[in-house]
Amino acid sequence: MPRLAILQHELSVVLPSASFFSHGKRHNLLGDNRNRQFLDAQALARLAAVPLFARRPMVGGVSGMHASPHRGSSVEFAEYRRYVPGDDLRRLDWRAYGRTDRYYVKEFEADTNLRLCLVVDTSGSMGFGSGDVSKIEYARRLAGSLAYLAVQQGDAVGLTCMGADIVRALPPRRTPSHLRGLNDILENATPEGETGLVERLHEFAETTRGRALVVIISDLFVNPPELREAFDHLRFRKHDVSVFHLMDPQEISFDFRRPTRFVDLEGGVSLFADPSEIMDRYQQAMVDYLTEMRRIVLETGVDYHRCSLDGDYEQALFDFLVRRNTGRGGR
Amino acid sequence: MSFLQPAMLIALPLIALPIVIHLINQRRFQTVQWGAMQFLLAANRMSRGYARIRQWLILAARTLAVAALIFAISRPLSSGWLGVAGGGQVDTTIILLDRSPSMSQAGPGGVSKLEAGVAKLVDSLETLGGNRYLLIDSVNQEPVEFEKPSDLLEMPEVLPVSASADLPSLLEAADRYIRENRPSRAEVWMLSDVRRNDWKDDSGRWDAIRESLVELPQMVRFHLLAYPEIPTGNRSLAVTQVRRVEDGDAANLLISLQIEQDGNDAPATTLPVSLELNGARSVFNVELSGKGSELVEHPVMLDGGTSRGWGRVWLQADASASDNEFYFVFDKEPPRKTLVVSEDPAKVRPVEFAAGISPDAAVVCESVSITPDELVSQDLENVSLIAWHVAIPGEDEGLHAVLMAFVQRGGQIIFFPPKSPTTAGFSDVSWGTWQEPQTVRVGSWVGDQDLLSRTRSGDALPVGELKVTRHCELEGEFRSLAVLDGGAPLLARATTDRGGVFFCTTTTSAGDSSLATAGVVLYAMIQRAGEIGAKTLSSTKQAVAGDVEIGEMRGWEQLAGSTDGLSSTYASTAGIYQGDGALIAINRSAGEDAETIVPPERVESLFANLDFDRVNQTADNSSSLIQEIWRLFLIVVLLALIAEAVLCIPKKITASDAVASFAGAGKSQVNHMSGFSQPNAEPQSDDVSVGGVA
Repeated sequence: MPRLAILQHELSVVLPSASFFSHGKRHNLLGDNRNRQFLDAQALARLAAVPLFARRPMVGGVSGMHASPHRGSSVEFAEYRRYVPGDDLRRLDWRAYGRTDRYYVKEFEADTNLRLCLVVDTSGSMGFGSGDVSKIEYARRLAGSLAYLAVQQGDAVGLTCMGADIVRALPPRRTPSHLRGLNDILENATPEGETGLVERLHEFAETTRGRALVVIISDLFVNPPELREAFDHLRFRKHDVSVFHLMDPQEISFDFRRPTRFVDLEGGVSLFADPSEIMDRYQQAMVDYLTEMRRIVLETGVDYHRCSLDGDYEQALFDFLVRRNTGRGGR
Repeated sequence: MSFLQPAMLIALPLIALPIVIHLINQRRFQTVQWGAMQFLLAANRMSRGYARIRQWLILAARTLAVAALIFAISRPLSSGWLGVAGGGQVDTTIILLDRSPSMSQAGPGGVSKLEAGVAKLVDSLETLGGNRYLLIDSVNQEPVEFEKPSDLLEMPEVLPVSASADLPSLLEAADRYIRENRPSRAEVWMLSDVRRNDWKDDSGRWDAIRESLVELPQMVRFHLLAYPEIPTGNRSLAVTQVRRVEDGDAANLLISLQIEQDGNDAPATTLPVSLELNGARSVFNVELSGKGSELVEHPVMLDGGTSRGWGRVWLQADASASDNEFYFVFDKEPPRKTLVVSEDPAKVRPVEFAAGISPDAAVVCESVSITPDELVSQDLENVSLIAWHVAIPGEDEGLHAVLMAFVQRGGQIIFFPPKSPTTAGFSDVSWGTWQEPQTVRVGSWVGDQDLLSRTRSGDALPVGELKVTRHCELEGEFRSLAVLDGGAPLLARATTDRGGVFFCTTTTSAGDSSLATAGVVLYAMIQRAGEIGAKTLSSTKQAVAGDVEIGEMRGWEQLAGSTDGLSSTYASTAGIYQGDGALIAINRSAGEDAETIVPPERVESLFANLDFDRVNQTADNSSSLIQEIWRLFLIVVLLALIAEAVLCIPKKITASDAVASFAGAGKSQVNHMSGFSQPNAEPQSDDVSVGGVA
């Protein structure tokens, strides 16, 4: 039985229906965005059962559900530390003093909130889609849903749309009104121009302060070695990097029958070709590219998700969330 | 290459169809907005090279398939004869058939040139088709129509004969037929071994024939199916003389024969020669060396002094059977009776002596001197020669008719100039005037034939030693056999159908010439003329095939020879024939033994300005002259289509299945790369497969 079906079955017990979201805070969050075509209330209700966790400690401004590199006042014991002058005497563990005749301070883990930075590629190639859904539409669904889930669990979310330049940038906030503005940007994002993903990721890494969960949604039609440097840069900045790699089925199968003039969506050259003549070479180039991409994400530790446009985005998000929960060891 | 349906070749432009379709397909392209251009550009860079060559090869294979299909339905022929059928259906096909003995030469398989050639002609004509078929053979030289090519195999007109062919006559017959019947398009097929003896390429008739053929308004094509191959190791046999001599009560036959063989370096050998004499067979040996041998007067005893009969000699079979045997007849030598007609017998005494002295004990010679008035009382049926030493009788005189009848029977006449020549003539030749006395010698003479030819030993007669003081001019159409210094004829021959009419322009008087004093020339001249005349009196005759009129032998009986032919071809078939109390032996001509081929360039020149082509064949070559090869083109079509199909198969790449599975990942939606919780953790093999389903 597919995991999504199992989850839907369990949610049907815990969450009787999607009408659950029609009350209280969640109602307010979704109510403002109900008319967004890229948001599905039922899918969000199902996905909300799985919390979004960061894989690395986050530094947030408020208390939250994510691990922090600092010690805090949560109920989860962290470690004993020798008392040094200046420590708060109220935190001395007198029972340990009684057993060891030494002064120890008992420290607890700190919980903080998450800063989710959504990076959406809006270059011209994102406008391609052989089926009902284009890559930009698929990206809207992924980003909108993640933003909703993050705000819904009290985390801040920001959005950066990248084409040849950074088209729009919205700093992370965790207010419902911020979510509305973010959805507006997503809704109005149009794919155009050449891709400048690598350069913009470097720029993003330099300008984004503090640790964040960076989710990149792109077709990654860039030079893989250059992309690797961008990933390394983000990791160097302590960001938790995830990538949704969007691919259209036709881009992989190259299933054309007639001679075709291919016009570059990013405004470059056009190419006339007989697909039957170059299909094998195209597929070989695609395999080489995917193999290279695999090697890069393995070496850079990027959380990599390859999505085909003919697949369900909800399943992609579910797997994304479940994997993150699995990595936390059951916390 | 030629085609039976050349009209179908107008479809040849269809070979451009694959190219046109290709171009149309190129123009019917779709335009797609495409994102993954980097892979497309990479693939396009890699596809330059083999892929482009493959594309051209596919196009070439398709074009080849269409072209081969069009050629196949045009019914191509394997022959290299360009344009054999290149203009559509032939109206009239005329076959000129050389039936000469040399065409009986067989190849290693035992098939003669004539048989092989006829079979190939039949095969070719059945393939080519036609409306009307005619055969002109070298014997009848008249067109014979037949319904279909296969009938040719059953016709008696394609059997070999012993008579030589006359290609110019055959072409004249064909030219005559085309002019009279005016076919729209004619093909003339010649089947021959191109022997010079049959083609007579030095004849002046060729120019007239060629001009006539060139002027034909119809389209006429000439095809020569030639068999010029000369078999090696061939031997030929010919009887040169047969004489019957009596020795008391017994009689012997002296046979002279000649055997020739190919090459000068053949080792000496003893060759058995078979002899059939009046039905009795025997064998005698002949020593053979070099190019051949000559057996002179081989004696054979005749049983009971047989006075008349026939015989045959032959050799062992070789490649050419027709020249291995020879027929002959013999008879008692008829008496040579000569009438010397003169007003003054004393003046013609030398002639009388020369005619009356026998050169051989077996030959009876008789010479009678008479006056012109006594001629009518003579029995000319027994006379072989008349020496006429008086004025030529006018055509209105009775003597003129008597002499003409004598000549028509085969008799010989030698006219000597009278004292007072008249304008009366004989056979369009008459005497002129006596020339002033002036001693001259003979400047030139014909030494290879006729009355002044060399002796049997090859020595020339002493004609040049003759001195002529007076001679009489000669007027009319004649052929000079001896010419005096200054150009005046000494001895001339008039043109006649039969018999011999000679004019000697001087007399035997001592004041006129030295003919009498140096009598060798006179004697040889008189005896030879008498011998020729005596032969016409004999009841036996040696003849060359084809020289005897067919009508002369009507009702005759064949005693020996090939029985394949019809009685109407007796005159052209070697053998012994009997009729009207006479015996006749017919043999091939001496020219048939001369294996001289007309050079190809000479043949070409004979057909200059005509649509002519030639193909050489050998008797042992059984392959078809013309063969339809459409099957070959269909195989080409098949191979081209297979090649095209093979070239169209997409090239497999190792990872294509992985890419295809990724393309089908819509069912499982997402491919994950897990194991990233520890940045430096080793990837798990189950999680990192490219395109693998999570």
